[in-house]
Amino acid sequence: MSEGLNYTFLIDTFFIALSGVPITLLVTIVALLFALPLGFLLALTRINQVPILNWFSRIYVSFVRGTPIIIQIFIVYASVPLILSLFFEKYNININVYNINPIWYAFIVFSFSTTAILIEVFRSALSTVNKGQLEAAQSVGLSNFQAYRRIVIPQALVVAMPNICTATVNLIKATSLGYAMSLQEITLKAKVAANVGYNYVEAYIDIFLVYIILCSLVEYGFKLYEKRLRRYKYVSA
Amino acid sequence: MLKIKDIHKSFGKNEILKGVDLSIDKGDVVVILGPSGSGKTTLLRCINFLETADSGKATFGDLQVDLHDASKKDIHTIRQKTAFVFQNYNLFNNKTAIENVTEGLIIGRKIPKAEANNIGKKALDKVGLSDKYDSYPSLLSGGQQQRVGIARAVALNPDIILFDEPTSALDPELVGEVLTVMKNIANEGTTMLVVTHEMSFAKDVANRVIFMDGGVVVEEGTPHDIFVSPKEERTKKFLKRVLPEDYTFYI
Ligand SMILES: Nc1ncnc2c1ncn2[C@@H]1O[C@H](COP(=O)(O)OP(=O)(O)O)[C@@H](O)[C@H]1O
Ligand SMILES: [Mg+2]
Repeated sequence: MSEGLNYTFLIDTFFIALSGVPITLLVTIVALLFALPLGFLLALTRINQVPILNWFSRIYVSFVRGTPIIIQIFIVYASVPLILSLFFEKYNININVYNINPIWYAFIVFSFSTTAILIEVFRSALSTVNKGQLEAAQSVGLSNFQAYRRIVIPQALVVAMPNICTATVNLIKATSLGYAMSLQEITLKAKVAANVGYNYVEAYIDIFLVYIILCSLVEYGFKLYEKRLRRYKYVSA
Repeated sequence: MLKIKDIHKSFGKNEILKGVDLSIDKGDVVVILGPSGSGKTTLLRCINFLETADSGKATFGDLQVDLHDASKKDIHTIRQKTAFVFQNYNLFNNKTAIENVTEGLIIGRKIPKAEANNIGKKALDKVGLSDKYDSYPSLLSGGQQQRVGIARAVALNPDIILFDEPTSALDPELVGEVLTVMKNIANEGTTMLVVTHEMSFAKDVANRVIFMDGGVVVEEGTPHDIFVSPKEERTKKFLKRVLPEDYTFYI
């Protein structure tokens, strides 16, 4: 084994790690598409004290927040195939559960865990918009839905945006745990490449670089968007 | 024009409104006085369905509704006939002054945007904010915000405007500008139901004064009746507390 870094490997593996970005982003985007609306709706049930649902969201949040994601991955990865194979057997569906692409499990785990985070993000953001504005909107003839869409949500979003950004960046980083279920994302791809010649340090540097670039870009995108959203506050805030 | 009959409302075990009747004619300026906690805000909120009364009937012109279980459609109709000015202004913080005023016109009433903007500008002119069309609420003083709140109500051209202590969140030096605006729109014949502690407004502008205490109307009459010759002991006590020692009443 040679001393020092293997630069050719470093550069080659950088691109291998980079080729994991689409999967990482796909999982992130699917999880957000699922978690943003659901998290928002469940946050509403918390704010408005909707019976049962409110209670459900609270338990749900404490469950997900109280367990490491890696454990959630293990649970889903181990139990969903069992349940599915029983189900497939019963209905004579001819699919081998062990051939299911692990990305589906990733979708499930990260969608559910992100939902829990966003419930809390939206709950605190919604509570910063005073109820009086909602009432004023109703009194000038807006429906509840219109009042939320035009008055409450735009303001809550501005407040929530930094936290949504943090949640997204955390989510991107958390998808690296997908390697535990053979998800072909950044970390797994680089590690597999490293296995051949034991170039782990190089691989880790590449993984590090890819995440830092990816996360910085995402944060920058959020900053731009935030600026546009908070137009109405620019002088006072 | 607006009649309220036997309205009751409790929060939990607390009965806040214990059978209030109210009758307002077109062009009336009715002031409700009463100590804090007597149910004045709750009464206004029940009329606008921001709170659901436990029982009671309302008649708006030829529309009769049960205040406890009105249909969505009736609630919408009544909100079109009424407008609310809030103690804390409750402006839409993400909208400019003009957008605050036109929101209800464009979205609530489906009036075309250009027309709504004209109405909105006229309403803001009326409250002396011709130079603030495009200001966001965060850039306006409390008095200016409340004037936008009044413009928002006026623009809807409602049958009646409900004011809930419109000046009590304001710094003393800003109260005058808001009262002046209210006086102006009263002089134009706007029907108003005003909860306030501004005795000068009650005395100079109202044509009827209602004194509420403990969830009931204790006494009502002309400003002269109430301020000069109140009949009820509770009214006298209240007035003694809120009016300055040497307060004299001239008609
Ligand atoms: N949403 C509510 N829940 C519980 N109690 C309330 C609520 N709103 C008002 N109250 C109570 O009702 C009473 C009368 O309130 P309010 O109508 O605001 O009186 P006023 O406007 O005359 O000061 C107060 O004691 C207040 O605590
Ligand atoms: Mg009050």
